[in-house]
Parts: sequence; structure tokens; C-alpha cells
Amino acid sequence: MSSTLLSVRDLSVSVRSEAAPRLLLDRVSLDLGRGEILGLVGESGSGKSLFCRSLVRLLPSRALVIDSGTVLLEGQDLLQASEADMLAVRGGRIGMIFQNPTSHLDPVMRVGDQIAEGIRFHQGLGKAAAREAALEILAQVGFPDPKRQYLSYPHEFSGGMRQRAMIGVALSCQPDILIADEPTTALDVTIQAQILRLLTEIRDRTRLSIILITHDLGVVAQTCDRIAVMRGGRVVEENTKRALLAAPGHAYTKALIASHPSIPARLSPVTTTEAKAASPLRPLLEVDDLHVSFPSGAGLFSGQPRVFNALNGVSLRVMPGETVGIVGESGSGKSTLARAILGLNPIASGHVAFEGSNLATQRNATLAKLRTDAAMVFQDPYNALNPRMTVGETLAEVLRVQNKVQPAQIKARIDELLDLVGLDRDFATRKPRSMSGGQCQRAGIARALAVDPKLIIADECVAALDVTIQAQIVDLFRDLQRKMNLTLLFIAHDLAIVRNLCERVVVMHHGKIVEEGRSADVFAMPSHAYTAALISAIPDIDPDRPLHALPLRRADSLRGMSSLSLQPST
Amino acid sequence: MHRYRFVLTRPLQFLPVLFGISVITFILVRLIPGDPARVILGTRATPTAIANIRAQYGLDEPLIAQYFYFLRNLAQGQMGRSILYKIDVLRLIGTRVEPTLVLVLASVVLSVLIAVPMAALAARNQGKAADQAVRIVSTLGIGFPPFWLGLMLIIVLSVQLSLFPVSGYGNTLADKLAHIALPSLTIALSLSAVLTRSLRVSMIAMLSSDIATAARARGMPERIVFWRHVFPNSLVPTINLLAVNIGWLIGGTVVVESVFAIPGMGQLLVRAIFSRDYMVVQGVAMAFACATVLVNFLADLATVAADPRIKL
Repeated sequence: MSSTLLSVRDLSVSVRSEAAPRLLLDRVSLDLGRGEILGLVGESGSGKSLFCRSLVRLLPSRALVIDSGTVLLEGQDLLQASEADMLAVRGGRIGMIFQNPTSHLDPVMRVGDQIAEGIRFHQGLGKAAAREAALEILAQVGFPDPKRQYLSYPHEFSGGMRQRAMIGVALSCQPDILIADEPTTALDVTIQAQILRLLTEIRDRTRLSIILITHDLGVVAQTCDRIAVMRGGRVVEENTKRALLAAPGHAYTKALIASHPSIPARLSPVTTTEAKAASPLRPLLEVDDLHVSFPSGAGLFSGQPRVFNALNGVSLRVMPGETVGIVGESGSGKSTLARAILGLNPIASGHVAFEGSNLATQRNATLAKLRTDAAMVFQDPYNALNPRMTVGETLAEVLRVQNKVQPAQIKARIDELLDLVGLDRDFATRKPRSMSGGQCQRAGIARALAVDPKLIIADECVAALDVTIQAQIVDLFRDLQRKMNLTLLFIAHDLAIVRNLCERVVVMHHGKIVEEGRSADVFAMPSHAYTAALISAIPDIDPDRPLHALPLRRADSLRGMSSLSLQPST
Repeated sequence: MHRYRFVLTRPLQFLPVLFGISVITFILVRLIPGDPARVILGTRATPTAIANIRAQYGLDEPLIAQYFYFLRNLAQGQMGRSILYKIDVLRLIGTRVEPTLVLVLASVVLSVLIAVPMAALAARNQGKAADQAVRIVSTLGIGFPPFWLGLMLIIVLSVQLSLFPVSGYGNTLADKLAHIALPSLTIALSLSAVLTRSLRVSMIAMLSSDIATAARARGMPERIVFWRHVFPNSLVPTINLLAVNIGWLIGGTVVVESVFAIPGMGQLLVRAIFSRDYMVVQGVAMAFACATVLVNFLADLATVAADPRIKL
């Protein structure tokens, strides 16, 4: 680290409410050197994002006020600067990129124009010159054909390309500091690796300072120089990366490191040999050469309506009591498979058999069986619960419809379910609004368990949760699996979690199963190149196990661009 | 441009719509009590005279046959002869299209010119006095019936201040615009109120959107954030609202043209109904229906142009 570029001292922010004002940032002090990457780690609500918003005085709500502190950017106190001066600072000195490029890019404006906008404003260039500069930036952030992509709209890009565009927009103003707020959380691992590499490359080339906000310690370990851990609006610990990861001082940091699901698992997957021995040999679920396709853009003049093949001949057998993980990037067909198994997607050809009854030939009978013996847990725990119903009402509804429990026993069964998922019994009277994400997901799992299912399909059910909560939910599944001999189909893009939870793993790519086997074997010795690329792209918490951004060949052109990435050609 | 492919396919969907409308107007007209022959000949007409007139216009045939003739004429681009004016219905409508078209266009342009600045003023000062004022004015605009507003405007601006002609329609362009000013203002006052409210709500939502945050984070002044990012992104819902309202507006010309004595299609329709001039009523109703369908088609086009994500 060299000279200090940004120096924050005792920054406090509170929210004004009818009751007493609540302190959201409590005397936060941090320094950022030129060319340094500072990782800001913590759970949702810890104040990471708010801290960064406060630096440029763009608070997300009018009820928030900066109480005290100084933010010195090369001697200039940003908290005292005039609003006009701040316009030059925002973008021009401190740029920002966000977690969700889809919602932060203007959907009705061409990508190139959004980049040129900042150039024209901050550097005062004319239209043609700004266009040239924007084309240059597009090439810098890894767009293979800048002239074409200049004219594209954000929705025409894949998630990774949108984040590249967002980075391009931020770089266009030539800032000294880039604040990256969870820039890779919404991306697939391989794309995440590319974006992280892009950021470090830009830093190396331009001496840009970066504040990287993330909840993933692996990301920090791979990219940052220094780490600050935040909790409850305070910096609880701050140190250089290696020192902090090797010897965490604060209890919370220790918990954070312990709950990080790195690939060399500390927890071995559950061995359900005894369950297997007890179970009959007939598979609970059998998927045979399943094809699912969706129409994509009916052709008026081109004759044949085009179809997108979401599943291309998938075959899978799941034995009772088994825990099978399905991994793959977005668009690989994981969720389509889950929905097809439950009869929610029309099947083009092939068979799904649940307990021997075939979904294609005996549709109604099989659906009835699936509805009573299979259940699904969803990704977004909050929106999957009816906000107007209490947890108890939600559970009672399922129990009444399923008719497996006597009406008089419903109350007792609800208590039992809540005990099972580790929620206090008085949660029966609470509504989702007053519950945290983890508590909502527990309620969602309780709802799935209410039908007393033989099969649970969990679709990315921990993706939206904080790491420490993720670990708890995974533990809960492991527990339930052991206690109830549940069959679990666990869909996730996070390979490390699957590695920890599932005994068997299925890797999907482009609607096909490219590899399948015991988790330990697959992760230790992937036989398919795609699996190897996926595994090597996971940011490990050990900084000495470097990140590989392997280029992946992809068929479709636009998504293919992301794999061309920034190969260090120089 | 595959996004605009619907320009070619959509008109095919108009056919069943227009067919349905033809059935409904045909039946509705004939449900009105009374008989065109009686209206023309008066109460003392002899039964033979009435029968003659009825035969002349084919009114003595069964309803099914009459409808069949109506359809056959439509297919040939004809709408029959007016019983009252004694000329071809299509030609009759042709002479009345211009005032109505000018009236509708002027009203829409005026409404947009009022609504956009009002909504912007309110949204950018949300909760403050300007916002409250806009909300009160727009609530009043929705609340007052247009015909009453029209009469008030005539009394104040025309009768007392002599700024505009009281009624009628002019010959030169300037004269025509002067005559159309009050009626279109009448319509615009209530239409702009609806648009303002819709636009204000979308603008407020967009002002706190991620798009606006990102624009502010790269140092764009609030003026640019608003007009370059917030405004274009708030348009789509309002375009659709405007299209629905133009549909109402076309029907509404019936009232406004009567109040201001404008010789347009609305006025023609009223006269035709009173004299049971079946052919004209059918013709004008079909013309109004076509116009409404066309407006919605144009709104679809505008939506696709305004938001590159939308495919129809």
C-alpha cells in the first residue's frame, strides 16, 4: 500500500424515526490507499453498503442523516463539500458499481450512450470524441465487438456482460476510487471469476483503488489486499488479508470464516449407508431421457417456430433416502428439471416416474401422488410465503388441504413442525414481514415438511441468505435428512454447499447432465472439463489457492462473449 | 427488426374485432324504438307511404338479410345511403372527419403539454407545496364534468373576455384553431388530470429506482437524471393510459361537439340517432371503432419504440 487516498474518521449515520433515532453506522473509521483493494465483509444489514453510500452522500432514504465524522479525499472533506462539488466527486473521483446491473443500467438507453454520458459530462468531450472513448472502454472491459455492443441495450446482454457494462460506465468517468457493491453476487461462479479478474487487472493497470463489498469471504481472499469486517454498523476488525484470515481476532470473524463452505470440506457429507440398506431397491424417482423445450420467438415468415431446448435428454435415478445435488450455471436447466419432475413444465418427450407411476402416461394419478408426497422449497423465502398469513395459518392450510392429519391435531402438528425446523412455537402467530430471511426459509421448509413428503426439491433455497444463515439451513437439512430419511434433491449454483451436503452430485450444462457421481469423487477428480472449470472458479478462502477464470466454450454468441473475457493477451 | 414484426400480424387480429363491432352496432341501432320512415314522413303518413320508404331502404326485409346486405356493402367499401341527407354515408362522413380529427389531435397534444410539466413538477417536489397543488388541481380536473367545464369556459373566455369564438368551426386554418381552442381545452383539462396522476406516480417510483441511483452515483446533475433517465422510463404505463383515454375521447366528441356546435362526426352521430338514420349511425359507429382500434395499434407501436425490452 502506498499513500492514503481516502481517509474516513468516525463516520456515524442514524435513521430519524418517530421513536428514538437509531444509529446505523457507529463511528466507522477506515483508510484506503492508492491502488489498494479493500474488502468490506459482513452480513446484510451490517452497514457495508450504507457506509459506501455515505462516502458520496447518496443515502438511500431521506430519513437517514449523517451525524458526524469526516471523509477526507486527498484532504477535501466530502461531508462539508457543496452539492455542486459533489457532482464532480461522484463518478469523477469515486465511481460505483452495484450488485444488480440489470436494475442499475438504464433499460431504454443504449449501453454505449450510457458510457458516453459520463465521459461527456466529466471530461467535457464532444459527441464524437466521447463515442470514441466509450468504444475504447467497451474493449477494455472485455466486449469483443465494441462497435456492435455500443448500440446494444442492456437486456440483450447476459448477466456477466451487464456487469462489465456497469464497470464500463463507472470507469468512463476515470475515477480514483471504485466502490463495488456485491458486484458478483448475482453471477455464476465462472463469470464471477472473470469479473473479479477484470477488476484486479484494471487496478494493476490504472492504480485504481477499489472498495469491494461482499458477503463472500472467498471473494475477498482472492482479490483484496486488506479486509474490514463489519457488524451492526461497526468495523469489528480490520487487517491485511493474510493476517486476518490466518488469525481472526473477533469472535464474529471466526464464525464467518468457520461458516464459509470451502471446497476442502471440514464436514464430510452424510453417509447414509444405513439408510440405503434399509431402503428397497426401487428408485423413488426415475427420470428417463427427458426433453423439455420452450418456444422462442415464433417465426411468421421463417416457417417453423423456433424452440429452445431447456432439457436435452436428461436421465436420473434417485433412491429413497438419497441426497442428490444438482449444480450448474444459470440457464443450465437445473430449475427446469425440478419443475418438470413436479409436473409444472410440459414434457416434450421422455419419462418421469415417481414411485413407479409415470407422469407422461398416468398424468393425473401421478400428479396427485406428487402433490401429497413431494414438496418444494423456494429460492426467495420471503416472497414464497403469503404476506397476509401467519406461519401457523400457512402450515394449517397445507395440513387441511392434504387431509393427512385430523383437524383436532393440526395445532399439535404445527408445533411439531416448528420444533423440527428450529423455530420457536410462538412463530405460529407471526407474519413473514416480521421475520428474517433465515426464519422465513425455516418456515418455508416447515411448509414443505407439512405434507410429510418422501421427496423434497430445494431450488437454490440458500442462495438469498447470508453465509452464517446458509450454514444453519444446510445443517437443518442434514439433520432432517438423518432424522426422517428424507430424499432431497438440492439444486444450487454454489458447489461448495452441495459438496458439503450431498452424497451424490449431478452437474448440468446446456440442458444435459455432463457428469454425475459421488460428491467426493466428482469434486476431487472431475472427469468433465466443464466440471473442472466450475470447481476451479470457486473463490477459495485460502488466498494461496488462486482463482482460475477458465474460458468456457459456449454455443450461443452473446453469452459466449463472456467467456472470451479478458485473457491477459499483453 | 423482428420486434416490429407485429406491425404485419396485428392487423389480422383487427378483422374479428371489427366483425364483432359490426354485429353489435347493427343490433343496437335497431333496438332503438321508432322507425326511420315515420321520422321522415311525420305522424300523419299513410301506411303505403311508410311501406314504400321501408322498401326503398330495404327495411322490410328480415334482419338477417339486412345484416347480410350491410356486410356485403362493407366488403365493397360502401355503407349505404343516408335516409336523412340523401347522400352516400361514406361521403357524408368524409365531410365531417376533419373537425373531429383536429379536435382529438389538439386535445391530446394539449393534454400532454399540460400533463408532463405538471407531473414533473409534482414528482420532483414530492410532498411539498407544488406537489400538493398539482394533486389538488388534477383531482379537480377529474372531478368536474367536461360539459360543465366547457360551458364555464365559454362564459368566461368567450362571452365575457371575447378571447375565443363561442361555437362553430372556421374556414381558414387560424380560424379553425381558434374555434377548436376552447373545446380541446375542455377535454385537455380532464384528460391531462388523469395523465398527470399516472405520470407522477411512475416518475416518483423511477426517482428512487436503481437507474436513478446509478446515474447520481456517476455524478449526473438532478436535471439530467430526471429528463434523460427517469422521464423516458416513466412513459410506458402512461402511453397505454393515454391510448385507452383517446378511445373514450373519440366517443366523448359526441358531447363536446354538441356543446360547441362543431360540425364533426360526433354531432352527425347525434342527429343520425334522433332521426333513426340507421345507415349513418352504423357508418359513424364503425368509423369510431376503426379509429379506436387504430389508436391502440399506434400505442403498441409507441410502447415498443419507447422500451426496447418490449416484444409484441
